[in-house]
Amino acid sequence: MKLITKSSLTFISASVIFFLIGSIVMYFSVRTIVSTNLNSVLNDKKDEVTLQSISTELNNYQSKNLIIEKSNHVSNDRFSDTVLIEDSKYVLYRKLDFYLDQNNKFYKVTILESQNRTDLLITKLVIMILGLAFLFFLILFFVNRHSIKSTLKVFYNTINKIENFDINTTKNLKLDSATTFEIRKMNSVIQTMADSLKKDFESQKEYIENVSHEIQTPLSIINSKLDELIQSENLSKTQLEQIAVLMDSTNRLYKINQALIFLTKIDNRFYNEASNINLNKLLIQQLEFFDDIINQRGIKLKLNTNEELNIYMNKDLAESMISNLIRNAIVHNNFRNQIHISITKNSFVISNTGEDLTFPESKIFDRFKRSESNKRSLGIGLSVVRSICKLYSFSLSYTKDELHRFVIKFK
Amino acid sequence: MDNRLKILIVEDEPEIAKSTLSFLSENDFICTHCIDLKSANLEIKNNFFHAALLDLGLPDGDGLNLIKKIKSKNSNTGVIIVSAKDALNKKIEALELGADDYLTKPFFLSELNARIKSLIRRLNVEENKKIVLNELTIFPEEMRVLVHNKKIDLTTKEFSLLLYFTSNQNRVLSKTVLGEYMSSNYDDYGFTDDLVYTHIKNLKKKLSSVGCAEYIKNIYGIGYKFVIE
Repeated sequence: MKLITKSSLTFISASVIFFLIGSIVMYFSVRTIVSTNLNSVLNDKKDEVTLQSISTELNNYQSKNLIIEKSNHVSNDRFSDTVLIEDSKYVLYRKLDFYLDQNNKFYKVTILESQNRTDLLITKLVIMILGLAFLFFLILFFVNRHSIKSTLKVFYNTINKIENFDINTTKNLKLDSATTFEIRKMNSVIQTMADSLKKDFESQKEYIENVSHEIQTPLSIINSKLDELIQSENLSKTQLEQIAVLMDSTNRLYKINQALIFLTKIDNRFYNEASNINLNKLLIQQLEFFDDIINQRGIKLKLNTNEELNIYMNKDLAESMISNLIRNAIVHNNFRNQIHISITKNSFVISNTGEDLTFPESKIFDRFKRSESNKRSLGIGLSVVRSICKLYSFSLSYTKDELHRFVIKFK
Repeated sequence: MDNRLKILIVEDEPEIAKSTLSFLSENDFICTHCIDLKSANLEIKNNFFHAALLDLGLPDGDGLNLIKKIKSKNSNTGVIIVSAKDALNKKIEALELGADDYLTKPFFLSELNARIKSLIRRLNVEENKKIVLNELTIFPEEMRVLVHNKKIDLTTKEFSLLLYFTSNQNRVLSKTVLGEYMSSNYDDYGFTDDLVYTHIKNLKKKLSSVGCAEYIKNIYGIGYKFVIE
């Protein structure tokens, strides 16, 4: 429920309750006032009748609104309401009963006063007052609604801007200035938060770049020194072999460094440019890079890519995702040397023959998890794939039947 | 007159500068080394270089600033950017400013050597149309190889390997270096050794079948060497 709806509903229900109680209270209080008024009219008439009764025979007074009966006792005056039927209509009357003593003869006199006219007056009055109050509330409602709306405009603006805030872009969050204290306060808190977030993100990016730089310079030095070392003529076979191991390890270290930097960059949403990628074309391009090794190892590749698949994502990440899956299928293949790749309109499936896993299936996407048999694998490719899929909320799954099968489902 | 090629090296890391310098000097380049922007600016103003090697992160600023100065002084000077910062936008920026090539640290010196040679060939087309080594003649721009004036068919990979070898004569090229060179299109580790072995085996076979001498020597355990006696 929107804030404005909620406040309007509260306003309306409060008003309805007020009107209900207010009109009942008003009706009865007006009734009381009118009754008091009628009572005094009746009292006046009573005085008149009493005065007349001293000189004149009472029975002559008998009329429609004055009823005189004989009584055998005297009692106090009594006011009450009564309804008479006149021309088959109910008419409300105010009635006064009083007793007269005329020459030791007792009479009960009843005076009636129609309330018809006053009743109409009350109704009109009540309607008028209620109408005025209703109008008042209606105006109040719209004025209030408008003022809340204009105050909330800044608020909604803020929400909108936070929603569209992307930490990856160079743009900072810029919130509107507000006139209300609370919203101004909220905006300034959010602004501070966003700024510090942005700052942290920037420094983290810088840190990643620095680490890569710092590690790569010594690696560079090791590489070039080793390269110089192998140029000397008088190295023994054993020494050369040892240097070869050093070179390979340095290269491995370099690759791990690169891959870790890449992973961190993905997790930090560094690659935020995106475009529409045709996965069929991308697959063909990536397979070309592996042409050599596929031919050399005699791998039998079966493609089933009749359906076109376009995905909106970063191109570098799309390439990395596909090439890591292909590489994984090649590196962990066995003597049966089969790879099947299929593209449907919402999924990419790659399966390969290979040895059974030496670790639980659930750990297959973890960093540095690899089969004992394949020491030359870096053990990082599949976690790169997982990170990319996570970034775009693609579902990535692994199953093993006869083949190792990796499935990416796109939405 | 000394017709050796002059190279300007702008690099603040002393160890890298030292090995680059000694390596390039051994390969008959005349090298000038600067450690910051200030001294590099002075060198560019006063001397001509065939090629310049620029590190991007220098103590007194960004090496990118030098590209324009070098190119406006003489557009025939080849500029190679060397940096650990492999961020794509830096690379694009450098190339847009006029750099001719981009090397990411850590690189192999033989790779650098091959890049410099290919760059100088590209910028001075007339003088360097072909490489002649005894019976072997290579036309780098046309991807053509002649042995005893007879054309031989090489695959793209075999051709680039041969060119790489001739750019780094009498030098041991490790399997790692060659593997890196061959798989630069996809960052890889793990199965390049086999590929290098296969391609070199095929290249040697094709060369010897038309009577070319065995220039590519196998160095046990570590790699290969292209030797011209």
